[in-house]
Order: sequence, then structure tokens, then C-alpha cells
Amino acid sequence: MSALNNPVVAVIISIIVAVGYFAMVDHYLMDMQGLDFWYLLRG
Amino acid sequence: MGLVTRKNLLAIMGLCAMVGLLLLPIVMALPSPATGEEAPAADGAKKEGEKVEKGRDVYYKTEGIVSGAPAPKTVDGPRDYPRYNFESRVLLWFANQQHLYYGSFVLAVPIFCMIIEFMGVVTKDKALAKRYDQLAYDFIKISLTAYSLTAVLGGILIFTFLTLYPAFFGYLSGIFRPVMHIYALIFLAESGTLYIYYYGWDKMKEGFLKWIHLSMSVVLNIIGTLLMFLANSWIGFMMSPAGVDEQGRFLGNIWHVIHTALWNPLNLHRILGNMAFGGGVVAAYAAYKFLASKTDEDRAHYDWMGYIAMALGVAFLIPLPFAGYWLMREVYAYRQQMGITLMGGLLAWLFIIQATMIGILFLSTNYYLWQAMGRMRGAEKYQRYIKYLVFLLACGYIVFITPHTMVMTPAELKAMGGQQHPVLGNYGVMSAKNGGINVIITTTILSFVWYMRGNKVSTVSWAKFGNIFMGVFFACAYINIIGLAVYGYYIPANVRVGLSVPQVATTLSCLFFMFALNSVMMKGAKQLGPIEWGKISARSQYALIMLATAFTWMMGLMGYIRSSVRLFWHVNEIMRDNSPWAYTHTVGFAANMISFNVLFFWVSILFVFWVGSLATKKAPVEAKVGVPGAVPQPAGSH
Repeated sequence: MSALNNPVVAVIISIIVAVGYFAMVDHYLMDMQGLDFWYLLRG
Repeated sequence: MGLVTRKNLLAIMGLCAMVGLLLLPIVMALPSPATGEEAPAADGAKKEGEKVEKGRDVYYKTEGIVSGAPAPKTVDGPRDYPRYNFESRVLLWFANQQHLYYGSFVLAVPIFCMIIEFMGVVTKDKALAKRYDQLAYDFIKISLTAYSLTAVLGGILIFTFLTLYPAFFGYLSGIFRPVMHIYALIFLAESGTLYIYYYGWDKMKEGFLKWIHLSMSVVLNIIGTLLMFLANSWIGFMMSPAGVDEQGRFLGNIWHVIHTALWNPLNLHRILGNMAFGGGVVAAYAAYKFLASKTDEDRAHYDWMGYIAMALGVAFLIPLPFAGYWLMREVYAYRQQMGITLMGGLLAWLFIIQATMIGILFLSTNYYLWQAMGRMRGAEKYQRYIKYLVFLLACGYIVFITPHTMVMTPAELKAMGGQQHPVLGNYGVMSAKNGGINVIITTTILSFVWYMRGNKVSTVSWAKFGNIFMGVFFACAYINIIGLAVYGYYIPANVRVGLSVPQVATTLSCLFFMFALNSVMMKGAKQLGPIEWGKISARSQYALIMLATAFTWMMGLMGYIRSSVRLFWHVNEIMRDNSPWAYTHTVGFAANMISFNVLFFWVSILFVFWVGSLATKKAPVEAKVGVPGAVPQPAGSH
């Protein structure tokens, strides 16, 4: 717990979790509609 | 003991009677005497050999036996459109809108009562439980007076239909004949249950009886919801008819007539809208009473009441735009042209007004919450960050209300080089607007989170991590919402249209995860001071009144939009409106009419409140329980 309360560690872990979560949300919710979220990158 | 048992028995019998009332319409519907299904069979027996005529359902594409007359082809004249020396449509608009306002109010308030009564029952703090119970009672008392007026307005509406649009009303009631008596019976059940629920309050205020009373509120709300769903099926049928052939002849399947393409989206949208509206009206009532209060005790009570009503109303306001998206999506799926008329054609400017009203609702809510933080010791730490929220809200709002094209004179058009502004025009598209509204809603969620932790300091061992995580999660949510909005400009329309789903999911993630995380963090939190109910600025109360007025105006506007999208049809593509008023009003006329309806509603409901206050003065049901401001508030009170 004490490591988690270190601001630098907390920020890094939070960013990894939040960015990973929203990337998943974007990808899967587009995929469920039969659409490609990464359309622009594949172009 | 014997008396208690008898009381319990009576209460259970009362509850059973309510359930019986709920089931009565279904039982009555079983033999289906009014469906007309037996009539063709009887005729068939008489006229053997005669061919049974079949028709094809305009929506479900199934075949069915023709069981009704075709939709009448009306002509402008006293037979089909009798009239006074006034536009009949406007009279009907007025009657309909007033009935809807009151109907929404009396359907929403019992749901609030159920929630608040439940909170009172499960709360361990006895003083707080008693306050919740008194609040729920105050709510239902307001609703009861309004209920009678709703019924009267319903009668006026039917007579207006019968007098001014007899051909249309005759056709519609012919189609819905199998469920007309069910509607009447459900209304009867609603009235019976409401009166038993209200008058049984004092007799069933403790122990097992209280649970029975709470169960009655559940039954009451199921009945109310069923009533609304049935009424929704009529407007659903008028917009997207089903269960009839192309001549409008009923094909014997009433479920098809009820379950049209737009019925479920309308049901969801209306139930959320009613709740938000009901919360707004009660909050405005509390605000009015707060401003008129002479004692600190009264101010504390009405401040608390206003907060609870506002919180409940906003809880239903947040998902409302998403239900609206679903409705619009289904409209486009049903008839693309209808969707275009709504959002990109004739009625598009009304949607800009709607966006403005939605923005006002959220701005008022946020403003109220920021003001409300003033009654908490410890909430000052958030004050310096509020300016950033104002910035986010203002940006989201400006983008959200930007029109795609402008109404201009030829000279202005020439000066600007086209209907679309070279810079601002870019924000008038759905990609930007979705981003705008999601930023507004996420900011409102953030304001709520700050409010909920205003006077508290988390004592959990991982508090620092929790705070940082919440901050990062909100920041990433904003980046994701705005990023998706910008991304939409670089990809084709068919891919772009799907981006609204992850945007909504991002906002809802903030709502559910951050509220849950905040609640866990604030469990057993250290309080920096009590919430000083009643010690709030008068400005906050005007924000509540603004909130309620904006709700009322927006409901009137959306009702008008939904109704006028049928253009020159009584029943879309089935029964044409041949009255002289089968045209779309100008935006200005519609706005004036909506404003008149709003004004009339508020004046009349003030009368209802006044009548309610007379009853309180004459016969107080119970001595006033300790008001929140009088004692320090427990943590669970918000």
C-alpha cells in the first residue's frame, strides 16, 4: 500500500489502467458495431 | 397482539387488493370481448363460403385477417373537423400539453416517494429515517392534489378530441378498442392504489406494516408505468404505425399495434424525462418554500428537500440524452426521411433550441452544486478549481449549441461566403456535438463527486492513490471524449457514426466507477464539519427554479418536435390530416405557444401547492420531525 501511495507510482499505474481501459472501450465498442476503430492508422 | 395481527392481516389484504387491481385489466383482457376477433368468425358462420379478406402489416410484414375499417379519408368541413373560431390544433396542443405536464408529475413523484421511503426504511439512524419518511409523505401530498387535476385535464383532452377531431379520434379509438377498457381499468387501479397508499401512511408507519406500505408503493408505480406505456403506444402508433395494412385496417393483432418501432425508445425516454421533470418541479417547490421561509428550521428543511429532489431529478437527467440518442437512432432506422426532417431539415433549428435548454439544465445543476458546497466546512478546497469546470462547461456548451448552418439574409450570406461559417461551421456537426455534451455531463459528474466529498477526508490507507487515480481517470476520460470528437473529422461518416457509443461509455464509466470508488473511499471518512442545511445562498434556489423551468420548457419543445415530425399526417403514411392546420408552425409561433403552456402550468401548479398548504395548515398529519438544520447531519444524509 505504501508503494501505491507514492505519487509517481500512483500516477504511472493510474495512467496505465485508465489509458488501457479507454483504449479497450474504444476498440471493443466499435468492434461490436462492426466498425474499425483503428481505421485511420490502417489507411 | 391480536390487534397487531389484525392490522397486519388488513395491510396484507390491502396489498393483495392492489395486486388484484393491477392484474384486473389483464384478467379482463383474457376473453378479449372487444377485439373484434369473434365478429368475423360469427359472420363467417353466417356467410359460409365468403372469402376472408387478408391484409399485410405495414411494419411487421405479416399477414392478418382484416378486422377493422380503413382509416377515414377526411375532408375539411364540419363533419370531420368541426371548429370554433380558433385554430383547433392549438386548442388540442394546449389541452394535451397540460395533461402531459400533470401526468408526468403524478407518475414521477410516487417513484421518488418509493425511493425516499425505502431510504427511510433501510437507514439505521432513526432521526434521519423519520426525516426521509416525512419527506416522502410531503412529496405524495403534493402529488395527490395534482392527481385530481390530471384526471380533469385528461377529461378535457378527450372532449377536445371528440369535439374538434371526431374522425381521427374515432379511428384511433377503433384501432385501440381492445385495450381501451384496460387503460380505463388501469387508471382506476392507479387511483385506488394511490389513495390507499396515501391514507394508509400513518396506520402503517412501523415494522412489518411499513414494509407492506413500501410494497404498495412498488405496486402503485408498476401500475403508473403500465398506464404511461399504454398511452405511449398511441403516439408510437401515430408516428410509426404497425398492426394495420396500408389502408389502415386493423389486422387483429393488438400487440403489433402497441409494439411499434418507436414504442420502447419512447417508453424509456419518457420515463427518464418524467423523473427528471418531477424532480425539477419538487425542487422548485422546495426552493420557493425556502425563499418564503421565516425561520431557520424551515429553511433547513426546504434546503434539504430541494437538494434531494434535485439530486434525484439529475440522476435521471444524466442518462436522458443517451435515451434520446437511442430514440433518434430508431427514428432513422424506421424512416430515414423522418430523422432528416427532425435533425437536418425542417425541425433542425428546434434541436438547436433543445441543445441550448439541455446546456442550461446542466449549467444550473453545476451552479447549484457549487453554491451548495458553501454550506459545508472543508469544501473551500475545491472552490479554486471551479473556474476550470466553468471553462470546460462553457466550451462544451458553445460547441453543443453551434448550428450547422445559419439563417441569413442574402447580404449576410454573401459576406460569409456560404451558409456555413468557415470556422464555427465545423462545430455544427454531430462529431463535435457528441464531444460537447459528453464533456458537459462528465463535468457534472465531477461536480457531484466533489460535492459528495466536500466536508470529508478519506481515512482509507490507499486514500492518496485513490485520489490520484480518480484525477487521472477523469483526465483520461476528457482526453478520450475530445479525442474521439476530433478523430471523427478524419474518418468516413459510416465509421464516425459509431464513435458516439465509446463516447457515451466513457461518460458512463466516470459515472459508475467514480461514484462507486468515491463511496468506498468516503466510507467511515473523517468529517470536517456538518452540512449546515439552510445556510445556502438565495441564488442557489433561483438555480433550482431555473432548472425546473428549463425542464418544463424543454418537455414542451420536445413534445412539439415529436408531434410535428408527422407533418401532414394524423397517422404517419396511413391517415392524412386534411384540416387547414396541417402545416408546420414557424419556430417563433411554436416558441410562444410552448412559453404560454409553461406559464400556464406554473401558475396552475402554484395554485395546487397553495391548496396543498391549506390542507397542511388545517390538519397537520404529524408533528414536524426534527429538521435537518437543527442538528449536525450524519454522513449518509447526502
